[in-house]
Amino acid sequence: MDSRFVQAFFISYGEFLIPLDLFFIIGVACFIKLPKETRADIHYWLPFLILVFTAFYENMGAYTNYNYEFKASVNAYLGNTEYPKFNLWLNNITKRGIGVILYLFLIKSWLEPSKKKYINWMIYIFIVVVVIIQYSGIEPLYFNQPIIFTFGANIILIGSGLYFIGMITHEQYLASNPLRLLSFWQMTFIMFTFTLTYISSVAKFYLYEVNPVLGESLFQIEWIMQLINLGILTLTVASPLMPGIFEKEPSYEFS
Amino acid sequence: MSFLESQVYIIIFSALFLGGVMSTFVISMVFIHRQRQAQNRQKLDQVKSEHEKTLLDIENEIQQETLTLIGRELHDNIGQLLSLAKLNFGSIRPEKQAEGRDILGQAIQEVRGLSKQLNLDWVESLSINEFIGQQLERIQNTGFCETTLDADFELVDLPKDQKLVLIRVIQESLNNAIKHASPNKILIRMHDSGKGKQIWIKDDGKGFDSSQKSNGSGMINLKKRMETIGGEFELTSTVGNGTEITLTLPN
Repeated sequence: MDSRFVQAFFISYGEFLIPLDLFFIIGVACFIKLPKETRADIHYWLPFLILVFTAFYENMGAYTNYNYEFKASVNAYLGNTEYPKFNLWLNNITKRGIGVILYLFLIKSWLEPSKKKYINWMIYIFIVVVVIIQYSGIEPLYFNQPIIFTFGANIILIGSGLYFIGMITHEQYLASNPLRLLSFWQMTFIMFTFTLTYISSVAKFYLYEVNPVLGESLFQIEWIMQLINLGILTLTVASPLMPGIFEKEPSYEFS
Repeated sequence: MSFLESQVYIIIFSALFLGGVMSTFVISMVFIHRQRQAQNRQKLDQVKSEHEKTLLDIENEIQQETLTLIGRELHDNIGQLLSLAKLNFGSIRPEKQAEGRDILGQAIQEVRGLSKQLNLDWVESLSINEFIGQQLERIQNTGFCETTLDADFELVDLPKDQKLVLIRVIQESLNNAIKHASPNKILIRMHDSGKGKQIWIKDDGKGFDSSQKSNGSGMINLKKRMETIGGEFELTSTVGNGTEITLTLPN
């Protein structure tokens, strides 16, 4: 195995990539074991899709660090010849773009029908804002995008807030124990992830230039939160195989 | 402390602050949820006890009504039959004595019929259609007014609580028609509308202005009772045009 490959996949980000790939493998194995009708349920296939998508872009990120030529050629194609080592374009397209939309869909799947329309509007507005900011050149695709991240994180926080409002007002949620609901843990950790990574994501460049050690520690928090999130999503996919641990989600009965 | 160090501290404390705010938010949500859950449980218990009380009241009322009916039957029917039998047995003519035995047999049949009504077991064995049929027959037999039952379905497999409430509401609606409306005709229709199964009670009596709020609690009671079993009660009436009551059964 080439030393650059080992460096990219196992040494630089090994403590993050190895557990992530493990979650991915466990998730795939559990999803295959699920009955056909459970696999067709959005509460299972959507967390699985997010898990697969995250594993894809994080591994792709590691690959771009292995294949500098590929990374540099994409940067050059996007007009970035100043920083050919950056792979922020991948982060911006996947995590901060498609990832935010997927998480919004996940939040939407737990909401009561009357509140789903708010998430639909958030998705439309988010897409429009991203397109405007990107094409107007305010935040190029190959550079850090604090405005887009701030906007995405805020709508996710509002969406999670809607879930919590439903949890304390909807009769079906009031009849259940939230600590035994996977949706509650999903929403809690999504909220924590986007809150705790807020500063490190917005001030990414500043931290790298001014205090790389602090920057690195704050990014560790981001990775840990992402791993916890993926752990919860894997648990969601595996939950039908572990009956009795979690309660039936009240949103299944929303008409 | 240098400017750079201060900035680093601001970043660390901001991250801690945001984390703290989120933790407080989630913990308070869980606490509010627990509180509301307790309130909700209390409310449900209250609704349940009210439902049980309503059922108990209804059972008492039905028993009261049954006792009144039995008293009337004993006085007007069985008492008369026994007196007639006594007279016949007092005669030395054999045909009179045979007639007395027949009348006595009839009285025994009547007593058997009445004894079955003393407890509420009859509610379970009787369908709503049979109950309505009996009630209308009784009204018609008194010569008070004409009655008609027109049913598109047979209501048999109802839970006992729903049956008790329906029986009581129908009984009370008919009593009201007899007491206050002086109708020439009472019609009951059981049909399946788009909303579900409905029982429609119509009389052509005096009627009243149902748009005006009544001081009596009778109609409100009937409405509440139907609601306790998940059904609906609707009343429309105008002066001179009789009264229409629609009972929508729970799905």
